[in-house]
Parts: sequence; C-alpha cells; structure tokens
Amino acid sequence: MNLKKPLTVETICLDLKGATKEAILAEMVELLVASGHIRDRDAVLKAVLEREKRMSTGMQNGIAIPHGKTDSVDCLVAALGIKRAGVDFGALDGQPSNIFVMTVSPDSRTGPHIQFLAEISRPLNDASVRAKLLAATSPDEVLHLLIG
Amino acid sequence: MLATEIQFVFQLGILIVFTRVGGYWLRRWLRLPGVLGELIVGMLIGPYALGQFHWPLIGKLFPFGPGGAPVSPELYAFSTFASIVLLFLSGLETDLSTFLRYSVAGTAVGIGGVVVSFFLGTGCAVWFGLADHWLAPHALFLGAIATATSVGISARILSERRKMDSPEGVTILAAAVFDDVLGIIVLAIVVGMSRAETEGGVSWSHILLIAAKAFGFWIGATAAGLLLARRFSRLLKYFKSTQAIAALALGCGLLLAGLSEMAGLAMIIGAYIMGLSLSRTDLVQVIQKEIEGLQNILVPVFFATMGMLVNFAAIRPMLQIGLVYSALAIASKVLGCGLPALFCGFNRHGAVRIGVGMLPRGEVALIVAGIGLTSGAIGQDIFGIAILMTLITTLLGPMLLAGSFENPAPGLRHPDDLAKAHNRTIELSFPSSDMAEFLLGRIVRAFRQEEFYVYRLSPDALTYQIRKDEIFFTLESEGGDIRLTTTVQYETLARLVIAEEMLSLRSMLHLAQDNGHLDTMEHDLVAGLFGGNGEEGEP
Repeated sequence: MNLKKPLTVETICLDLKGATKEAILAEMVELLVASGHIRDRDAVLKAVLEREKRMSTGMQNGIAIPHGKTDSVDCLVAALGIKRAGVDFGALDGQPSNIFVMTVSPDSRTGPHIQFLAEISRPLNDASVRAKLLAATSPDEVLHLLIG
Repeated sequence: MLATEIQFVFQLGILIVFTRVGGYWLRRWLRLPGVLGELIVGMLIGPYALGQFHWPLIGKLFPFGPGGAPVSPELYAFSTFASIVLLFLSGLETDLSTFLRYSVAGTAVGIGGVVVSFFLGTGCAVWFGLADHWLAPHALFLGAIATATSVGISARILSERRKMDSPEGVTILAAAVFDDVLGIIVLAIVVGMSRAETEGGVSWSHILLIAAKAFGFWIGATAAGLLLARRFSRLLKYFKSTQAIAALALGCGLLLAGLSEMAGLAMIIGAYIMGLSLSRTDLVQVIQKEIEGLQNILVPVFFATMGMLVNFAAIRPMLQIGLVYSALAIASKVLGCGLPALFCGFNRHGAVRIGVGMLPRGEVALIVAGIGLTSGAIGQDIFGIAILMTLITTLLGPMLLAGSFENPAPGLRHPDDLAKAHNRTIELSFPSSDMAEFLLGRIVRAFRQEEFYVYRLSPDALTYQIRKDEIFFTLESEGGDIRLTTTVQYETLARLVIAEEMLSLRSMLHLAQDNGHLDTMEHDLVAGLFGGNGEEGEP
C-alpha cells in the first residue's frame, strides 16, 4: 500500500514535549490535525485513549503504535513523533517509549488500518533504523528512512 | 404420466434431497468428498438405473427426454444454469495478479500439469482408435477433460493434515489457479476447433483460425473485463442493496455467457470471465455471500445431473479404455506437475505430493464433458469414460495425498530451503471450539475490513485464503485451535490483527461480566415461561 500519502512532513515531529502518556497522545493528535482530514479533535483523542485503555500499544525497544477508529476522520491519517528522552507508555518490555506512530481511520468504512500500522512499523524492527530515526534532524530524513 | 412442470418439480425435489443426504453420508461414513456422493446418487436415480422404475401414480421419475436424451430439456437447462453459476463463482474466487506474482513453482507446476494432461488425454483417443487424428473432436475433448484440477478436495486434505502452509501445499494452491485459467483457455480453443470440425471445416488452417479466434475472444474479453471492472463495480454500488448488486452481477454473468456461446465458445467461459473481472473489485465478498445459498442448492443438482447422463451399457465395452484413460489422467498430473516441481527445489517426496495433490478432477471436467455430449462432439461412451476418470481421480486423489504425507520426510531437496521460504504459523489454542470459531469469525471480519479478499476453500472445513496484492495468509480452525500462516514479511500484520481481535473479545467478556443488565435480561427471558395456570398460550 502507499505509505507516502498519510505520512507527510507536516505530521512528523522530532521533538515531542509531553512528559506523560496522555500528553504525548494529545500532542500526536494535534499533529494529525495538520493533515486537514480531522473533523473533531476530541473524538479522535477519545478513540485513541479508549484503545489504550484496553491494552497499551507500547511495544518493545521504544516503539509505540497508538491507534483508533472514529468517523471523525475522513480517511486514514497518520503521524510520527519522537521523544528522545522517552516516556513511560506501559510498554511490553517495561522500557520507556521514544518512537510513536499514530494511525486513526474511519470506523464505518473499510480500508487498511492495521495493515498501515504493520507496514510503517516494519522497518522499526531494525535496531539501526531506530537509531537513525532517533538521530534524525529533519522530517524529510524520517520519511526517507521509513518510506524511501 | 405427469405434466412436464410437475414432473420437473418432482425431479428437482428428489435430486436436492437425495444428493444432500447421499453426500452427507458419504462424507460422514467414508470420509469421501461430497461430490462423489452427488455423482453416484445421480447415476443411481438416473434414467439408466432406478429412473426407469414405474412408481404408482407418478410413473417413471426420470424417463428419457425427447429424442432419447438422458434427461429432460428442463433439467438439462437447469444444470447448465448451475454450471454457469459455478464457473462465475470460480472466476470470482481467482485473484490473477496475486498468483502471477506468488509462486514460480506454482506457475511451472500448473502449466506442466495442463500441457501433459492435454497431450496424454488427446493421445489416448488417438492410440485407442477413438479418433482418427489429434485434432478430431473426440481427441480434443478427452484432452480438455483431463486438464482441469479441482483443488478444493486436496485443500481439505492439506488442511486436515496441517500441511496447508507446507511448501507442497502452497505450491498446489498456487498451481491450481494457473490450472483453472489455462483449463478455461483450452476449453475455449477446443470448443471452437471441434465446432469447426463438426461443421465440416477440416482444413488445418481453418481449425487454427478458429483456435486463434477463441483465444483472441478469451484474451480480449478478459482484458476488457479487468479494465472495466472498477467502473462496473461503481455502477453496481449505485443500487446500494447487496442483494441487488449480487443479482445484477450474476445477471451480467449470464448475459456474457450467452454472448460467448454466440461467439462460438462455451457459455461457462463468459461466466468465468465475468467472475474473474469482478474478482479484482471490493464486491467479491458481497456477491459470494449473496449467491452462496443459490450455489448450495444448484451445485449438487449439477453433479447429480452429470451422473444421470452416464449410460452404463455404453461404458461397458469401453471400460478397459476408461481405466487406461484414468491411469493416464493420474500419470499426467503426477508427471506433469511432479517433474517441474523437481526443478523448483522439491525432492521426490515433494514432487509426488504435489502431483497427487493436483489429481482430483471435478466440476470443470464434468462441464466440458457435458458440453461435448450435448454438442454431439463426443458420444455417450466417451462421456462415460470422462465420468469414470472423474470418479477415480476424485476417489484416489485425497487418499494418495493423505498417504504421501504419512512419510514425514521433507519435500524439499534442501530442507534448509524451508528457512528461505520464511513461512510462519501463528498457533492459538482455546478452551472450546465455540470460542475458536467465534474468534475465527472476528479475524475473517477484521481482514475484510482491511479490504483483504477472504474466501473459504471448502464448505467442509474452516479453512480460508486471505489475500491482497502480494500478501497471502492461510487461516484454519480445527477443534479449539486457530492457525494463521504467512511469510515472515507479513507476520507483524498477522499478529497485530489477531491481537486486536483478542482484545475486542476480552472487552466483550468483561462488559458481559460487569453488566448486571444482561443477568436481568436472561432472567426476564425465561421468567414466566412455565408460570401459567390456564389454557395453552395463556401467560
């Protein structure tokens, strides 16, 4: 699938400010607003928080993939954020999370959602890609690393 | 003697009831494919056996049709409609682009099987004096009948033996798609050529021209279908209702079937092309689901009607040739599919498994034989041989395939190649089969929501193929177990999809536990059921 469309330089932040899981999620949703496809920011945040309540999307090695479904978005939207110092995200390995990939897609329409998450995070399995991402100095560099 | 329409209704009722019961018992008692039961029921109740029996009040149930035809024109038309629906659905289940990319071994095995089967089938007719030359209709039909594999039967065995994800299993499934497509092209050419022959145009150039025309129609119609499919699906979606969409799609399939017959090809080719064109749209599941009920009624009637056409007296003198033809049909797939497999990294064990997995012939062989019989290109003797071969290969295929896996020896020449195949199976065990089936349904729904094509391989087993472009999964459930197999590249996607559905399941269970309202709901439902003191029906 085309990963380039949802993830753009506008929806990438290399220096997230939040110090808690909730703050990071709110900041990421703000990034999504930049895509221009969000009708109700609060509803989007609520969908993502609901999903987090069921089980944290904090995986291993600093990766977190918060996501949710709501009809407050017109199409699949995605954002990537980096918090070098890391935040306690309730990750599987108990380590702080520092690379966040957020995806939100419409609830009542079919289309890739988990597939997007899986494909965009596949390169993150590679430790050298993670290291390069954390050292990236521009959103373009991040896009190049993940999408080519 | 009953009026035609009453007799037709009786015939249809008897066929539906007996094929269902026969198929069920054969599956249950002998663990044989249901299609065998349906064919055998047709043979037993047909005009050449019990159909001639005089019943009080209703007379003969399956008398000969006008002009001595084995079945009435009404019943034959009904079974033709069934074959069109069958091939329409078969086309719908094919995702050409995925399989073209999926497996080099699958391509080689599929092509090898079709070429060798056609050659040996045609050769059999020439060697035994049934045809004067290789291009005679008898020869061409025996070749075409021998080509098409019915992989559903093998898929069930692979699933039962948990070999769906084995290199052999993956290759058999991929090869079957090429086999289907090539089988239809062969049929298109054979029908065209045999018509030219029977019409007296026996010159080679004329026959080759017809073959080129048939091939051209196939390529042209398929290309047009694939190009216009998205526009056509948008047009269908205008009608919103899923029933309307499915009915319109099938209706157009019937129209294209009629057109292809008028163009000098078989009707099923048009139906297959319409299905194949729609297979690349997101309407596949909608149409499949809506037509499923119709298919369940029609298909057994089709197989039984084919069985009814078998004239035992005509086969008897041909029995020996029939057995040789069946043996050649078996050898042609074992060699035609097995040899290319040997060149694609498989060893002797693997090649034999692939060869026997491609053995069973089914609906396409029967449809081709039926077309040959009604068009006069082949006689009842050759038709009988075709049925015999279908019965033998359908009976032996599953047994040989299961037996070939008894020896646990790896099927690849270098078992380390398994690592190269990078297949991964995610296995989950649940306390009950109900729970596993519930989650299976959720996983199927989740993939469909992600716009994957999901289809069930066989009605007898909970085995699904899930695909989108180059991504391919096999999902199976047996007892309380669920297995999802894919390549290492798509393992993350598989794990995430299952994990999300497990979470939903858990949330639902929590919600059910925490929600006192459900308790009162249950209580309200049964309270007062036996509290009445008065007459029946009084609360």
